[in-house]
Amino acid sequence: MSVFNRNEKDAGNNMAGGDKPRDAAPVTAAPAKPAQASVQPIGAAEPAKSIGVSVISKALRITGQLESTEDIRIDGEVDGDIHGVSVTVGPGAKVKGSVYGQTVELAGTIEGKIEAKKVVLTSTAHMAGDVIHQDIKIESGAYIDGHCRPGTNKLDSKPAEVKKPTVVAS
Amino acid sequence: MSAAPARPLLKPPRPEGLTGTAPSHLSKAMTIKGDLESDGEVVIHGYVSGQVTADRLVVSVGGCLEGDIIARDVRIEGRLSGRIFALNVTLDAAAEVSGRIFHNTITVAKGARIDARMPWRPPSYFETLEQLPEARA
Repeated sequence: MSVFNRNEKDAGNNMAGGDKPRDAAPVTAAPAKPAQASVQPIGAAEPAKSIGVSVISKALRITGQLESTEDIRIDGEVDGDIHGVSVTVGPGAKVKGSVYGQTVELAGTIEGKIEAKKVVLTSTAHMAGDVIHQDIKIESGAYIDGHCRPGTNKLDSKPAEVKKPTVVAS
Repeated sequence: MSAAPARPLLKPPRPEGLTGTAPSHLSKAMTIKGDLESDGEVVIHGYVSGQVTADRLVVSVGGCLEGDIIARDVRIEGRLSGRIFALNVTLDAAAEVSGRIFHNTITVAKGARIDARMPWRPPSYFETLEQLPEARA
């Protein structure tokens, strides 16, 4: 036991020493100081961010339902409904299905429905279907084929009732 | 199950220059019920239930996949319940796998929990695989 503990401590000290050789002595096992924390993320910013945000890259195609309590960025193709907080459909991306979220930003194509508090259709957006929103921004150049309706109470309730898992053939 | 796909499930390796596409990340908070198909890399931190076809698949620590995998490279650090059809399989120390692992080369780290058969297959098996064999208990 004691051997392990000592090794751990040594490792901790070594790591702290690597970061800040001068401050190595006072720093024990305490969490990193804010100053250190602000220095570290510069290198680690990207991986940390991409873990919080789901990215459906250009090469990915999903057939089925996506649900997330965090942000989603779609650059690929989705055939199914998307439930997220902030959903970004990038240029070149294609969604066939409904998109629900607090914020939906569309620069690609959606065939279906958008239901969100805040909707942004950028100049490259192609929207075939209805948009239910509280706050909408449409840039010049966006294509819309559908109704834009202000939704009020419905948007506040979380879309948890739609659960239709696609049958997985195995 | 209508007409079987005529092309092999496993996509041919992409030329070096075209592998620049960023990997897809499915975050911890993400749940997908359905199939994923990619000719790039897919990293699962969340939960996926369905079949995954990719060039490279990583089920990261805390990630969970229920379904079959068809890929060139597979790395499991999380949980998997299903079958793997991959040339190169790596099971990390934190992996929890149950099912079948069809592989050509496999690495299993000490600590991995494996409840699976691991049949070896020649590379040609994966490259000509057009339809997954039926799942058996």
